[in-house]
Amino acid sequence: MSLCRELRYHWYVNLLGRTGLRVRRWQATWQAKSSSRWKSEVLTPPLKISAWTKELIGRHYLKGNYANLHNKVTWVTSGAPVEFLQALGFYILYPENHAAVCGTVRLAEEIASQAENAGFSQDICSYARTDLGTVISGKTPVGRLPRPDLLVACTNICQTVLLWYRVLSHRLDVPLILIDTPFIYSQVTDHAVEFVKRQIEEAIPTAEKVAGKSLKMYKLEEVAKLGLQASELWLEVIERAQHRPAPISVFDQFIHMAPIVEMRGNPGTVDFYAAMLREVDERIAQGIGVIKEEKKRLLWDNLPIWYRLRFLAEFLGRRGVAVVASTYTNAWGELSRLIEVSRPIESMARTYIFIILNRGTGDKLSVMKRMVEDFHLDGAILHSDRSCKSYSIGQLDQRDRLMREVGVPALLLEADHNAPRAFSEEQVSNRLAAFVEMLGV
Amino acid sequence: MDVGSTTNKLVAVNAEGEMLWNVLEQTEPRVEEQINRLLEQAGEALGPLEGIPLIATGYGRGLVHQARRTVTEISCHARGIYREFGHGGTLVDIGGQDSKVIAISPQGAVLDFVMNDKCAAGTGQFLERTANRLVVPLEQMGREALSAAREVPISSTCTVFAETEIVSLIAHGEAVPSILRGLHRSLTKRLLAMVRTVGLVTPLMLSGGVAQNPAILHMLEEETGEQVILPLHPQLVGAHGAALFALEIMETV
Amino acid sequence: MAAVLPIHYPRSLLRAFDILPVEVWGPPRVSTDYGAAHLQPYLCSIVHNALSFLLSGGLDITEVLVVPHACDSLQGLGSILLDFISPKQAVLPVYLPRGTRESDIAFFAQELRSVYDRLQALTGRSPTEGELMDCIEREEAADLLLIQLHRCHKTLPLTDFAFYRLVRSREYLPAEQFATLAQEVLARGEALSPDGIPLVISGILPEPMSLLDALQGMGGRIVADDLACCGRRLYPPGESDDPFRRMAERIIHAPPDPTRGGLLSARLNHLLGLVEANEAKGLVFYLVKFCEPELFDLPDLRQELRQAGIPSLTIEVDVNNPVSQGVLNRLEAFLEMIG
Repeated sequence: MSLCRELRYHWYVNLLGRTGLRVRRWQATWQAKSSSRWKSEVLTPPLKISAWTKELIGRHYLKGNYANLHNKVTWVTSGAPVEFLQALGFYILYPENHAAVCGTVRLAEEIASQAENAGFSQDICSYARTDLGTVISGKTPVGRLPRPDLLVACTNICQTVLLWYRVLSHRLDVPLILIDTPFIYSQVTDHAVEFVKRQIEEAIPTAEKVAGKSLKMYKLEEVAKLGLQASELWLEVIERAQHRPAPISVFDQFIHMAPIVEMRGNPGTVDFYAAMLREVDERIAQGIGVIKEEKKRLLWDNLPIWYRLRFLAEFLGRRGVAVVASTYTNAWGELSRLIEVSRPIESMARTYIFIILNRGTGDKLSVMKRMVEDFHLDGAILHSDRSCKSYSIGQLDQRDRLMREVGVPALLLEADHNAPRAFSEEQVSNRLAAFVEMLGV
Repeated sequence: MDVGSTTNKLVAVNAEGEMLWNVLEQTEPRVEEQINRLLEQAGEALGPLEGIPLIATGYGRGLVHQARRTVTEISCHARGIYREFGHGGTLVDIGGQDSKVIAISPQGAVLDFVMNDKCAAGTGQFLERTANRLVVPLEQMGREALSAAREVPISSTCTVFAETEIVSLIAHGEAVPSILRGLHRSLTKRLLAMVRTVGLVTPLMLSGGVAQNPAILHMLEEETGEQVILPLHPQLVGAHGAALFALEIMETV
Repeated sequence: MAAVLPIHYPRSLLRAFDILPVEVWGPPRVSTDYGAAHLQPYLCSIVHNALSFLLSGGLDITEVLVVPHACDSLQGLGSILLDFISPKQAVLPVYLPRGTRESDIAFFAQELRSVYDRLQALTGRSPTEGELMDCIEREEAADLLLIQLHRCHKTLPLTDFAFYRLVRSREYLPAEQFATLAQEVLARGEALSPDGIPLVISGILPEPMSLLDALQGMGGRIVADDLACCGRRLYPPGESDDPFRRMAERIIHAPPDPTRGGLLSARLNHLLGLVEANEAKGLVFYLVKFCEPELFDLPDLRQELRQAGIPSLTIEVDVNNPVSQGVLNRLEAFLEMIG
């Protein structure tokens, strides 16, 4: 029977699905060559690599559709240490990314309402609501999500994920591994790093038991190495936006960050970002920017507004404004600085406790200030995200300091990363228009 | 007597609990004076009221000093609707300022309930305020909405956001009936979310002022796939229930 | 004197430095404008009010501000206090681990050691381990009395208002003074005939307090609670001989609290136990608006309580607002339903 399951998996995923997705990528790439299909007066055509991104994401979710036939499956939070899970052969699903996919295809609201009907408040994170909506109703734009055998929640992005995963663990009756990363108010302490390291060490046997095999150190090092290479390339890609005109916007980054989040330790991810870097460099050589006429450059803080990416890009682009840097996409590049392939577990503890959301609000301000300088920015949009308290608290002061200490205008934009009902297009347009006028465009 | 935020209702029942007489008025700012006047009217129509117990319900129930007892509108609505239909189910009551969903057992007891009184979304006010925006008389809203050939999705359930959304839809040249249809859909979905939190026990029953709106009825049926039952006097269910509580006191005396 | 924000912190550690902890649970009737300059409107009123109270001078009498890490909002508040607001008080964040594993206790003991070091630097004092142990034992004795008060809640000759005024004096009185008050009440014996429909209340805090009198007026009575400021802080005595480990054990072994992680089923069983032991007829979830730790657990808890035949009601409040007519109306309808 197990053979039969394997055959089914390979038939659907590797023979049919993979081929189909590859053909679609070729078609899309071929079509992109004749850029006449691109209809936007303000934005330049998307990167050619987009077809590849689509293929990667498509294949990831396609594998997910059949993963229960072939792999043990784990659902993890976006900041979780996944290297050991990957080395153990788990299929890794990121519910946050899945929720974002629902957001970009404008299905988040409908799916989240399934969770609301079950009693989940509109005041809880819209990612969590979307994910719980899928768990409750089975609704998803990606076919189906594989049932988890293991849940891993890491508190380095927020405490909300733990609350959310406790519910998943309860509803799905699946063990939950907690990696608790003490918040770094100012200096990281040795006992905090030791605590994280110990939890990862203790998580390994639990994961091994679920996986039914033991962790091979060489595999862990291999995954860590690939993850490091991919992160370094990603950092290079996003830093290319320092060029004027910027060859890549944050809106591109939001889309093309999926592999670095979801498939960090895969060899294919390294190839993908290497190719992306080449394409971005070609753009620089040709002097192509993301908008046809770049007059001003902005910073984006906090999560994207997934269901309005195109609207925001065009609204600002039409006024000569490019949004070129973000604290959010930078987070996955920053990771690379702390990874040490030869000491994977120790360095994982240090890496994962150190991500931007687990550091103080003053530290985040320093990152923003550095970006304003490095990317030659004229202003900042701080997305005050109703659904993400951990990212949003501090923005009122950060905005104030950016204006006073750096001298750039900054706008606090009230919205929500995945809940269209918290987004009023009229109000947002008004705010943005006034802000752009302030920039002197 | 049901002293609501939008309307005041007074119902009298006979010994069998059948509705004998009723009156319905818009709530006035001087509620106590209005209560006295309504009771006088009842006296004129029915004869002296001495010895006949009065039960008050609704938001202003504390202002009815003549009442023997006060009972919440949850219990009164459950009692009133059970009297009329003789079976359980889920009652959706949409008032001017609040709305409630009550799950009623086959014996008429309240199993669970949920109320929304914090914001205008999901209440009659949502329609009233948006009707003002569109300059459509409230009574005609439902019919106009049903006459629309297409439906414009309204993403905001928040009344304030919905108003700005309407402004922009009008600016984009959307037809008023299509916007209305979208608004009704939005309200219906909000109500259904409340229904689902108590769990839908069939049949679905509808009361309150908004029950007279045919679009809400239609859409509730469409979304649930169940027939929705309307009482004879949708706005008097609570007051009728209160009168039945009063009758109980009378019988135990 | 130290101002302490919710929820869990080691009282004995502060007392060992001769610091009196006084807790700040979103004091009402504060102009919220002060907090609104730093915090978004979608954060809860407890966090808003704590900051407003501080900035309006309400905490000027204190020298230390302890900010335990209970949730994303308190994490953020601690961080902006340190990085942007810089009040005259020394700001002392404390991270609470989210598990009950050995590694959590070991980490938390270390975390408390680093708080000791901070306090040592602040006060110039260096209490010995023996002095620390004495303070711990004094708090343990007071907490045992608190546990006893909660256990006898149903039969004490106190109104709900008086009960909560007494147990919540633990939030500002020194342990020894609280102990005297508690012993006095416990010595009074049982009430003759406790009346009212028995309820369990769950949530953060029973405020505004006028709610309690109103509830009694409607014929309800609280017999047990799962409130963050009360029933979730019935710390059992510790076991270790090491004072830091012992303080850590006490907090980590407290009753279930979503802000300290743990399984949902443990919370459910705890609630079922409270209802059963006190023969309550229903449970009221009395929540502070925007509190994610409460909101995530709610649907599953309510559904499983329903399956166990226990009706429940959810109410959301903002601690700045007086008890609304709507809230009273719902409570009254709930009592009519279960009575």
